[in-house]
Amino acid sequence: MRTEAALGTLEAAPAAGCWRSLITQESVSTVVASVVIAAVVLLPLATMVVSSFRVMEGFGFSSHWGLDNYRAMVEDRVIFKAFINTLLISTGSTLLATVFGVSLAWINARTNCPWREKLEPFNLVPFFLSPFVGAIAWHDLASPKIGLLNAWAREFLGVQGAVLNVDNIYGIIWVTGIFFTPLVYLFVVGSLRRMDPSLEDSARTTGAGLLRTTLTVTLPLVLPGILSGAIIVFVSTAGEFGVPFKLGTPYGWETLTTQIFSKAVGDDANYYMGAAMSMTLGVITAFLVWIQQRIIAPRDFTTVTGKGFRPNVVNLGKWKWVALGYNLTFVLLAVVIPLLGLLIVSLHPVWQGHIIPGDITLYNYERVLFWWRPDHIQAATNGIINSVILAFAGATIAMALAIPVSYMIHRTKGYGSRMLDFLCVVPIGFPGIVLAMGVLITYIKTPLYATIWIILLGYITRFFPYGQRNISSIMLAISEELDQSSRMAGASWFTTLKRVTLPLLKPGIFAGWVLLFIIFLRELPMSIILYSTGTETLSVGVYYLSNFENEPLTAALSIAQTVILLVCIVVFRRLAGREALTA
Amino acid sequence: MDQEISAAPFLEVRGLVKRFGNDRAVDDVSFGIRRGGFLTLLGPSGCGKTTTLMCIAGLHHLDAGEIRVGDATYTSFATGEFMPPEKRNIGMVFQSYAIWPHMTVAQNVAYPLEIRKVDRAEIDERVNKVLRLVGLGDMAGKLATQLSGGQQQRAALARAIVFRPRLLLFDEPLSNLDLKLREQMRVELKRIQREVGITSVYVTHDQAEALVMSDEIIVMSKGRIEQRGGPRDIYAQPVNRYVSNFIGVANLLEGHVVRVTSPGRGEFEVNHGNERVHLPCRLGEGVSEGSSAVLSVRPENVQATRDKGGDPCLEGKVLRSIFLGNCVDCRVLWGGFEWKVLAHPRLRLQAGERVYLRLDPEQSLAVQP
Repeated sequence: MRTEAALGTLEAAPAAGCWRSLITQESVSTVVASVVIAAVVLLPLATMVVSSFRVMEGFGFSSHWGLDNYRAMVEDRVIFKAFINTLLISTGSTLLATVFGVSLAWINARTNCPWREKLEPFNLVPFFLSPFVGAIAWHDLASPKIGLLNAWAREFLGVQGAVLNVDNIYGIIWVTGIFFTPLVYLFVVGSLRRMDPSLEDSARTTGAGLLRTTLTVTLPLVLPGILSGAIIVFVSTAGEFGVPFKLGTPYGWETLTTQIFSKAVGDDANYYMGAAMSMTLGVITAFLVWIQQRIIAPRDFTTVTGKGFRPNVVNLGKWKWVALGYNLTFVLLAVVIPLLGLLIVSLHPVWQGHIIPGDITLYNYERVLFWWRPDHIQAATNGIINSVILAFAGATIAMALAIPVSYMIHRTKGYGSRMLDFLCVVPIGFPGIVLAMGVLITYIKTPLYATIWIILLGYITRFFPYGQRNISSIMLAISEELDQSSRMAGASWFTTLKRVTLPLLKPGIFAGWVLLFIIFLRELPMSIILYSTGTETLSVGVYYLSNFENEPLTAALSIAQTVILLVCIVVFRRLAGREALTA
Repeated sequence: MDQEISAAPFLEVRGLVKRFGNDRAVDDVSFGIRRGGFLTLLGPSGCGKTTTLMCIAGLHHLDAGEIRVGDATYTSFATGEFMPPEKRNIGMVFQSYAIWPHMTVAQNVAYPLEIRKVDRAEIDERVNKVLRLVGLGDMAGKLATQLSGGQQQRAALARAIVFRPRLLLFDEPLSNLDLKLREQMRVELKRIQREVGITSVYVTHDQAEALVMSDEIIVMSKGRIEQRGGPRDIYAQPVNRYVSNFIGVANLLEGHVVRVTSPGRGEFEVNHGNERVHLPCRLGEGVSEGSSAVLSVRPENVQATRDKGGDPCLEGKVLRSIFLGNCVDCRVLWGGFEWKVLAHPRLRLQAGERVYLRLDPEQSLAVQP
């Protein structure tokens, strides 16, 4: 027998307040977000394309249309050499990073190397630090005249001249290779960990030994991860500015990025030429990223399964100590020795290659950090303050944008969401310096120019996709039915976002924020194009000290930057947990 | 024979069409259900049942048709009216339960009342009452992730009914549970629905579930309604081969009705090797003299014996026989056709044996192909 008394009488029918379905909170927000993102992302790129076809006349007061810029890329000896150098450096670094990255990933994920869990965060540290600082550190360690290691070799080994020389293309390859190793590591270690062990077990049961299984089953399955990592490293090193600028330009080795820089702010400033070079670099990198996204990533079958596995671990026997030694050596070379070297240099008033215990002082730090003292260095203290402000504001704005955009991409259907998805991937394909050229040329006649806002705009344009991807990966894991049941319970689209979706996204939001904070703090290529006196950033401060002051001051600010970044890394790992860094 | 709704229907769906691209997922579906009734949409994956449900909920837009509840129009393609889902006062239980993991059970259930700005004391009272109703009285403080599947299911139901909705929708809620739990929850859900008296639409692909729970069943295929009726009617009088095969198990023989002997009764002709065999039968809807038809006979209505006896019977050979405890599942080869027979266990039929099959004309139904 029915008892309505169990729950009371049913609610009356709602009033006839229906409305057309076209104008909803959802559709309006989607359109607005798409327009904003399209303007921010596409405008600089469009301006750059157009500018590359304008040729400068005389001293730059007029210009005409033409292909001269592109012709110069092949005909001008300096520029052509720079192009070749870029290719050589990218190839070399990619090989180095791949060798290190794959071996470290295998050791960490698949062997019984002792302390491998404790070592993993250290393997990743170079990823968060500034490669520019790394170049400075290695310069202080291994340049022929003032390098600390060379000095020790002369003193204790009686060597004449210099044992090591990083002030050349090999030095650039060495430093970029080490600093981008974590990228390959992350791709490969994720693949190895997520692989179903029964795939290898079944090979073993048919009679295949360890080596054959590894070569015929494990390796092909991990190959997409390796290729993805390699392509991303290639693209990143092609766009790397700081390392070739420190170790290459003063000694005659130019790359496309350093050339773009000189065309933007150097004596032979020619924005149109810079745009053409940026276009060339950008097209190559965008093409490679497109290949990685469309062709390689979808073939990575190890990421498809949802179950958690305990993968097969190889018992290395006595060789496990060799593996440990190898991993420790990497950490020493990538993190410990450079930082120690920098520290030593920063404690001397003048650096000539020897440690002079009597000279040890903290004076450099005072000049670089204490902005209230009369002898502080403006560029350095500006850099700290500006970078912290930019990082804070930039990370917050970028994440605030990323949340609704991610929501629109994954929760709405149709053409608009696919367009948004595409727009969000575009900036990843272009190196920072390329986008910076675009932003510069676009906004040079606006009030934004020469203010801190243009730098903020550049940062957000370039790095917003990283925040968005962090959120997207969580959103994909949240079932759509969690939102739908909130609607059915009576909550509007906005209330659902506030009470159901956002709380579930919280971990991803914080992790993304800290990641962006770190990226903005150490950013160099965009800052160096878009800054002006008063709006220097931390990395620009380091550049300024390196160009116009001396090694110890440069080292002091570098150490300060590194300390801030290391603190952020610890916070990041706390918030994000182990899996958050998977690409 | 579908039942006419005695009173004016509470939920009415008219001419519903929903397309995905060029594909008509729901193709001109119309039905109604009286207040307090329990209607099941039954069919395999892809038949359009979940899409229909989503349209009623307002989570999908229509390409044609109308949905009305009580005296309110929820969606009308013709006039462009569309009431957003949060305004429809419809409770919905999802296949994955959709219990929010960052809230406790009590917070999950209280959510719809908080949206409606009910005051705190009343919220607590109503939440506790409904949790007791579904058997989760002592689970209020637990986090959703600490609940088992069956418990999450009950919590989802509690959340769906706490705000006294006009309509309750279920999207295959039991398919993620194991068998024993499913059988138990079927009865539980039905009991709660009866007690609370909310009009309910239930979607499932499990025909046993549909038979146990529903007042009325709508069998769907490829976006269209095949048959509508009560459980017994659909089981005993399937309107065509598809429904016959989907509900329960059936022997289906192709042939035609050779003549009509009396109203609703006739003779079915089927080919057996070179012979033509005539089997007396009842005539289903839309089947008349001369028309092609399918003879549907349930396995429990086929009698198998070892002795030939005098009355007409079919001679066949046992292909296999599986002991199920309370009966024996036999396959008997008769010419080119394999009969499914549920025989009494004391017969101990062996593979290779000769058996004689007898059909009851009242239990043999000629249906549309």
